[in-house]
Amino acid sequence: MKTRIKELRARYDLTQEDLAKKVGVRRETILFIEKGNYNPSLQLAHDIAKALQTTIDDLFVFEEE
Amino acid sequence: MKDLKGIVLAILIGAAVLLTLFFYVIGTGEIELNEIILVGIVLILVGLAMFIVWDRLKNIQKGLPAKDERVISISHKAGYYGFIAAIWSAVLIPTMIDIIFGYEPDAGDISAIVVLVSGFVFVASYLYLYQKGK
Repeated sequence: MKTRIKELRARYDLTQEDLAKKVGVRRETILFIEKGNYNPSLQLAHDIAKALQTTIDDLFVFEEE
Repeated sequence: MKDLKGIVLAILIGAAVLLTLFFYVIGTGEIELNEIILVGIVLILVGLAMFIVWDRLKNIQKGLPAKDERVISISHKAGYYGFIAAIWSAVLIPTMIDIIFGYEPDAGDISAIVVLVSGFVFVASYLYLYQKGK
C-alpha cells in the first residue's frame, strides 16, 4: 500500500509532528504510515484524510498483488 | 494525566526493583555466576523499561500522546509473545536443566526464570516491533 500523505503534507506545509498533533497520534506513527510499514485503522485513516482535506480513497493507493 | 500517572508508577517500580537488587547483592556476600547472569538480565529489563518510559515522556512533552493505536497494538503483540514465552519456558527450561545439569530446579527458581524470560521476550518483541513499525 502506498500513500500520498507526504505529498499532501507538503501541499499544506505540515510537518509529521503537526499532522500527528492534528490526528492525535505519535509522530513515528505518521512516519511508518508514510513508509507503508503500518496500516492504520479505518478511524485513523479517516482522521488523516480529513486533516489533509481529502478522502481515504485518494490518500491510500492499494496495489493489486 | 493518566499517561503521566503510569509513567510515575513505572519509574517508582523501576526504582524499587533496583533498590531490592542492591540489597540482595549487598546481603548475598559471595555471588555465583548464575546470580550474576540473573542480576544482569534484571538490569537489562529495567534499562529497557526505562527507555520505553523516556520515549513516552518525550512525546508528552511535545504535546503528543504517550500511546496511540500503533503502540497499543505493539504492546498487545509483545504481550502475546511474552505469554507464549512464559508457557514454553515453564515447560522447557526445567527439562533442559534436568537433562544438561542433572538436577531439578525448585519452584522458586522456575518462577524466577519464567518471569525473567517472559519479561525479556516482551521487551525485546516490543522494541523490535517498535522500530519495524507494526
